[in-house]
Amino acid sequence: MNRVKLLFFATLRDRAGTKSMELDIPANLTVQGLKDKLSMEYPNLKESMSSVLITINREYAFDEAVIPPNAELAMFPPVSGG
Amino acid sequence: MEFPTIFSITEDEIDLNDLLAKITLTSTGAAAIFAGMVRGQTGRGEAHETEYLEYEAYVPMAEAKMKQVAEEIRARWPIVEGIVIVQRIGKLYPKTPTVVIACTAAHRDTGVFDAARYGIDRLKEIVPIWKKEVSPGGEFWVEGEYIPKAGE
Repeated sequence: MNRVKLLFFATLRDRAGTKSMELDIPANLTVQGLKDKLSMEYPNLKESMSSVLITINREYAFDEAVIPPNAELAMFPPVSGG
Repeated sequence: MEFPTIFSITEDEIDLNDLLAKITLTSTGAAAIFAGMVRGQTGRGEAHETEYLEYEAYVPMAEAKMKQVAEEIRARWPIVEGIVIVQRIGKLYPKTPTVVIACTAAHRDTGVFDAARYGIDRLKEIVPIWKKEVSPGGEFWVEGEYIPKAGE
């Protein structure tokens, strides 16, 4: 298992009810695998998983990407700064 | 000579004069400045009033992406001298400046207007900042539309 940190912002933070959590995930889990896992374990997040943006170590990541050990992950909606 | 690049997420008031001074060199003759502010009354689309906006950012990533936007500007407009990219976060009321993008160059016909325009457009695409709109009728998170591609 790998321990990772997961941060939530904006609508994802509201849905998760927390700013961050530590997670133990299987080695070689992909971003898609993480979305599936969270959808199962946190029903509030399920609806957001189709449009969510995910970053690994502060870079945008996509469904096939493999999550490395000790990664800092973040989940958030499309950005709206300015 | 190294050209100045300033990028930050801040909770403090944006001091435009100070920022402009920092990107004005002895060779500078022109600055294009974009400032965005909180709009209290919106007429375009569904008309509504805004009491305030509450901004948040994923600060370390946001500052890294601002640096990336500045590098993209320099790659496209090598003639640009100084670059400022600053976003204010927190609870901000109508008329308050929230974001400034400024680019300086020797002359106005160098693409400096386009460079500043590119900067604000890219900030709204890839820099992880969000705003919650609070109105008399309720509150909601504003969500963008852009989905970053690999390598962005």
